[in-house]
Amino acid sequence: MTPRFGQGDPGLSGRAFAAAQAFTLDAKLVWTRSLYPALHRKIEDGLSPGDGVAEIRSRMAGDVDYQVFAWLERHLQRFKYSGRYGLQAYHDAQRETLEAGLTDADLPEGLLSLDPDLEMPAYYTAVDIHQHPGGVWSDAIAGCVYERGARSTTPTMGVKHADLHTRLTDYVDGLLDGPPARLFDMACGFGKSTGPFVEAYREAEIVGMDLSEPCLRLAARTAHENQSRNVRYVQGDARESGLDPDSQDVVTSTMYLHEMPPSGVRAALAESYRVLKPGGRMVHLDFYHLPDPIARFIHYGHGRCNNEPFMEPLAEMDLTAELEALGFRDIRIEPFEEAPGALDPENDAWRFPWTVVAAEKPA
Amino acid sequence: MTRPEQTFFDDPALDRLYGTVWALATEVFVLRDRVTVLEEALAEAGQIDLDALRAEPSPEDLAAHAADRRAFVDHLMTSLAGTQQSKGAPV
Repeated sequence: MTPRFGQGDPGLSGRAFAAAQAFTLDAKLVWTRSLYPALHRKIEDGLSPGDGVAEIRSRMAGDVDYQVFAWLERHLQRFKYSGRYGLQAYHDAQRETLEAGLTDADLPEGLLSLDPDLEMPAYYTAVDIHQHPGGVWSDAIAGCVYERGARSTTPTMGVKHADLHTRLTDYVDGLLDGPPARLFDMACGFGKSTGPFVEAYREAEIVGMDLSEPCLRLAARTAHENQSRNVRYVQGDARESGLDPDSQDVVTSTMYLHEMPPSGVRAALAESYRVLKPGGRMVHLDFYHLPDPIARFIHYGHGRCNNEPFMEPLAEMDLTAELEALGFRDIRIEPFEEAPGALDPENDAWRFPWTVVAAEKPA
Repeated sequence: MTRPEQTFFDDPALDRLYGTVWALATEVFVLRDRVTVLEEALAEAGQIDLDALRAEPSPEDLAAHAADRRAFVDHLMTSLAGTQQSKGAPV
């Protein structure tokens, strides 16, 4: 039985949708702030010297506290996206209006470049990442669904996309001697990572690239509404961007590397090196730094629960060695404070293992 | 596309039960939210007295609704006995 939700459901009003989403988010906050800390303490109390992920996984497989935690980890996301009051159904009910708003007819020339012949990589289409039905690429309104969902991706942060991404922009700015002339944002999605750079570097030429036409249409629409003249959104595979070699002062990405198998990560890092100017800076924000077996166990479980099959492979890579082999220097792989107090030892709430992977191409 | 859902509990029936319960909980909250909005709108229009609505009912009020309440509870708890409601073949 494949239920059909969305258009034609008389019970799906804006009010009902908002109530259900708020209910789900509040449940996620309980999971984040209460269930997770209690589970972490339980695992820690049962740890033996030398225990790794395999030992923890074996011990917790039959533990009801972990079973409940993991069930909620998967199904709170499932209810967020799918089902009667999920993001997909709600946006499906407004499909006509949303699609009309994504027209490119009035966009300035050059703001949006689409490639209808672009072939989606197999890894990209094989799984509906983070349980977004159909993925972020296959449905004309997928960018709208993704944007709305991204407002609550990190339950303890505010709903403004800018908070996390502004912090990344500040981090990048701290590495530079001055504003960049050219910046490349890999896998930019609907532009939430690109936006703060567009605002911060008004004189720069900024390129945001992504595989997803639906996301890029939304990114371009947002840029047009904000009257941003220093950015262009290009549909393409950032691993083979087509940008000129030695052309970019900054190459960046946010939550990109963990969406690909290791071969894709290597290609993205190699492409970063290729397009960077000598002396240019690469900064990728992703999930990598896992200081102990418990953090690793929880993170790998999240990957399995949330349709993120490449979270574990990325975390198993030796990124320092990969970057050294490419010729990068001043390699910094360090925890990233996504919100005030996130890295405080007293913060025992669940959080993604935000990590910056940064390096410089030798001058 | 129908792939089997992940299971977390020793008995996969529990995974499905949790899902049904969670869907019902969501519907309950949506209903509560709507009732709240309706009550506030009616109160603002002078159609109902919110304080009266929220006050502890009198013994007479409770008695007047007792039959319905007991039928609700019976309906909910009948299954806990684990007995057949009509004669079936011997198990």
